Amino acid sequence: MPMPFVLAATLLTCGAGIVLSLVLDDSRIPALLGCLGAIASLLLLVLSGASLFTGTSFHETLWTIPQLGALTLSLDRLSALFLFISGLVLLPASVFASGNLFRYLGKYSLRTYCILYFALFATLVLIPISADALSFLMLWESMSILIYLLVNYEHEEKEHTRAGYIMLAIGEAGTIAVALAFITLARNGSLEFAAMKAAGIGLGEEARWSVFLLAFFGFGVKAGLVPVNFWLPQAYTSAPGSFVPVLAGATLNLGIYGIVRVNGYLLPALTPGPGLVALIIGSVTAILGILYATTQSDLKTLLAHSSIENAGIITAALGAGFVFVALKHYPLAAIAFAAALYQMLNHSIYKTLLFCATGTVDSHTGTRNIDRLGGLIKVMPLTAGFFLVGALSIAALPPFNGFDSEWLTLQTMLQSAELASTGIKIVFAICGAILALTAALSVTCFVKAFAMSFLGMSRSEAAAQAERAPRVATVPMGFLALLCFLLGIAPTYVIPILDGPIAPIAQAARAADALVPPFFAGNPHHNELPAAFVADFHAIGAQVGQSVMPARGLIVMHRGGAANPVVFAMSTFYTAVVLALMLLGTYVVFRLIISSSRAVDRRVVWDGGIRRLLPEMTYTGTGFSNPVRVIFEAVFRPTMVEDTSETVGKHFRAAIRRTRGENHVLDRLILDPISDAALQAANGFARMHHGFLNAYAVYGLAALLVALLVARFA
Amino acid sequence: MTNWVIKGLRTGVKSTRYPRAEETAAGCSPGLPAATRLPSDLAEMIVARCPTGALERSLEGVDVDLRRCVHCFRCTRGSNCTVDWSGGYDWAGFATERTGAFGPPFGRSLHILVVDTGDCGACLSEVKQLNNPYYNMHRLGFFLTPTPRHADVLLVVGALTEQMRLPLRKAYDAMPTPKRVVAAGACALSGGVFGRSFICSGGVGEFLPVDVEVPGNPPPPLAILHGLMVVAGRKPPASLYRRVENSSADEPR
Repeated sequence: MPMPFVLAATLLTCGAGIVLSLVLDDSRIPALLGCLGAIASLLLLVLSGASLFTGTSFHETLWTIPQLGALTLSLDRLSALFLFISGLVLLPASVFASGNLFRYLGKYSLRTYCILYFALFATLVLIPISADALSFLMLWESMSILIYLLVNYEHEEKEHTRAGYIMLAIGEAGTIAVALAFITLARNGSLEFAAMKAAGIGLGEEARWSVFLLAFFGFGVKAGLVPVNFWLPQAYTSAPGSFVPVLAGATLNLGIYGIVRVNGYLLPALTPGPGLVALIIGSVTAILGILYATTQSDLKTLLAHSSIENAGIITAALGAGFVFVALKHYPLAAIAFAAALYQMLNHSIYKTLLFCATGTVDSHTGTRNIDRLGGLIKVMPLTAGFFLVGALSIAALPPFNGFDSEWLTLQTMLQSAELASTGIKIVFAICGAILALTAALSVTCFVKAFAMSFLGMSRSEAAAQAERAPRVATVPMGFLALLCFLLGIAPTYVIPILDGPIAPIAQAARAADALVPPFFAGNPHHNELPAAFVADFHAIGAQVGQSVMPARGLIVMHRGGAANPVVFAMSTFYTAVVLALMLLGTYVVFRLIISSSRAVDRRVVWDGGIRRLLPEMTYTGTGFSNPVRVIFEAVFRPTMVEDTSETVGKHFRAAIRRTRGENHVLDRLILDPISDAALQAANGFARMHHGFLNAYAVYGLAALLVALLVARFA
Repeated sequence: MTNWVIKGLRTGVKSTRYPRAEETAAGCSPGLPAATRLPSDLAEMIVARCPTGALERSLEGVDVDLRRCVHCFRCTRGSNCTVDWSGGYDWAGFATERTGAFGPPFGRSLHILVVDTGDCGACLSEVKQLNNPYYNMHRLGFFLTPTPRHADVLLVVGALTEQMRLPLRKAYDAMPTPKRVVAAGACALSGGVFGRSFICSGGVGEFLPVDVEVPGNPPPPLAILHGLMVVAGRKPPASLYRRVENSSADEPR
């Protein structure tokens, strides 16, 4: 079937969803959303998969608008990758939403939700394949508005409305920045991307910088980069549990898509400067994201901050790629881009999984506060298991997928040793150290998120009496958990696929050549490689299990040159096999030798001998993350407000209550000064309004005079 | 700064030579009454003097139940009749016939959890002495641990009060098998001067399966050390009853 037909079928399914939701009763809407959403996602997977795996593409001109140019659609491998990831996320998210939506039945209109959902689905499909600035901006704008409406779905809550407004405002600012970048790029009058790319070659250095900064921070709003991400935690927390997986898994990627498309593809940097900016911004985003994630006690807000962290890691890897491109180290650039896109793919999968699990917990216990949860593994074992898989993945532990991409990212940072400039090397080293710290903190963060919510004792009635998750929730989570595992053990299959989208932005260098030893790729005699080189790989065990294992095992990071013949190698597949064998072996040994001779006596847990161990006495999430809070006090800068009113005899204080407040470091350093300055300026202008009619007449006269003078002399 | 090495070498080993040799330092043990051959009327009088019932009348004199003795010396304060008093400190013995010592794997590495079930402070003070340089129980492979999860031996001191029954049971349950219980001091063994009352049971043995009992009120550090050596299987147990020899009464009452 030709690809435009598949695209049309996808969009028609979305349209059918909108039409049917107008007709159907509210109680039927969840089933409709689940079915049609899944069908549309499958069609999307077919469409993008065909392009991603086989390399076919299409280019269609739709209409020509007078004065503005043609609206065109074009599907290349880069677009296909983003569409494929969206499909992978939307398929389980739609099914999950069909189960999760029932909690709103009777309170909010499910019909509205369904209409907005399918409209957003269509824009998500169209944004990556729109091939001119005009249609791109129109779609981008409609996406912003649709997201705003969906985030503000529970509109009776004041906080949600506020979060929605902030998001809308900063989103519009981002769109304007992006539009300005496009206008700067469209020098020869055409708004088509292909023409813009051609026009970009002759652009001056200042124009290049302005396009880079406008596009980077404009798209960075959606991606959640410092300093334009303050909307993100609030919006993610306010969004309905059924929608937030889409928000984290699909729309965040579109911000990355914009950066890759404009800064990587349309106007590749000629100097390392922009890349370094991206690298530094990415690293700062990552560390701030994980710091605030670790100290959160709301599970959803925690995951939102962790999304910021992941966006930071992706951007840092992209920035490294831009630097390598500018310095003409194309294979290294390909590796960096592969790491970035792999991390993005992984983040979409595990973050969708975690948000689905959190949504399930939320709808079954009525709370997302980690300090009020606990012990959920006993009442919701499957959900707990899947959350654990997601947590292991996001904490970058093998054999799950987060490990592969974070390992690649850190290795990419180490590859800066190949660069000539010492200054750039220092920046890479510092950013690499920050990313390593981020990786370590993310383990702390997700140990807390999993252990404090799912293990131990239940800290509330609701957590103790939660019911098992229904199959409509566990099946999508299981699908995503399986993906986490598969992407974790088969990076050698994923990286060659990522090569397709990377090729145009990395000047046709192939990451797979540098990362995956070609002698697993097909040719068993590997004639294409020198024998000495192959012997090097055999020395580190690259051929182990070649004949018995079904998968290509090894990721090899870099071969090194003649000067440094070092090979960085890692095999997650072999790691998984060895891990499984060790676990199995331990179990067998335990069963055969130890367990047969000694009976295990199970008694109550040792609680220090107190009369009754109350849930309040056990370790809480806040307590677990407190060391992080104390160590990074300079970043958090908490404010302690002492508000005590209980006094005896007017001077003896019977009780002291201290409320701890925290102002996000970005609010403190960037947002508050700006808003304070704006308010002060407004106050200054307000002095002109003192209510005398004569004064206003003078203003009018003065303005007229100025206008006349300008018209006369200019 | 470097003087301490020389000073240490000059001072030499000051720790007790127990268990390789007898400890002869003055005051290392208060001693316990010995079984004494006495005429029946005098025996009657002496038994009546004992506040805790440690002395028992037998056919040929006075028998001693060491578990009850509180070293009050009332039985030695008389113008015409006294019991014999014996020194020494190897007093610990098995509580019942069935329980045994630990085997060789535990002999030289024994982790001990001390639980105070209502102690006046005397027994705890003696337990504390075990870690000082003189008694230095580390050299014998005995270690104190703060958690029952690591403990092999539960060392109970003090009269078992009502409030401490649950913590004691929880600590015992939390210990991994194989495990042994050592009760030290007259209060832990029999209730001591408190006896059996509404708030205090007549000994830990009524509540937990005690393996080794260390008499004394308080038992001197060497006696506790002997108890630990007995539970580790490195010393033979002593008898907890002292009977007049050639007595026709075999069983203590």
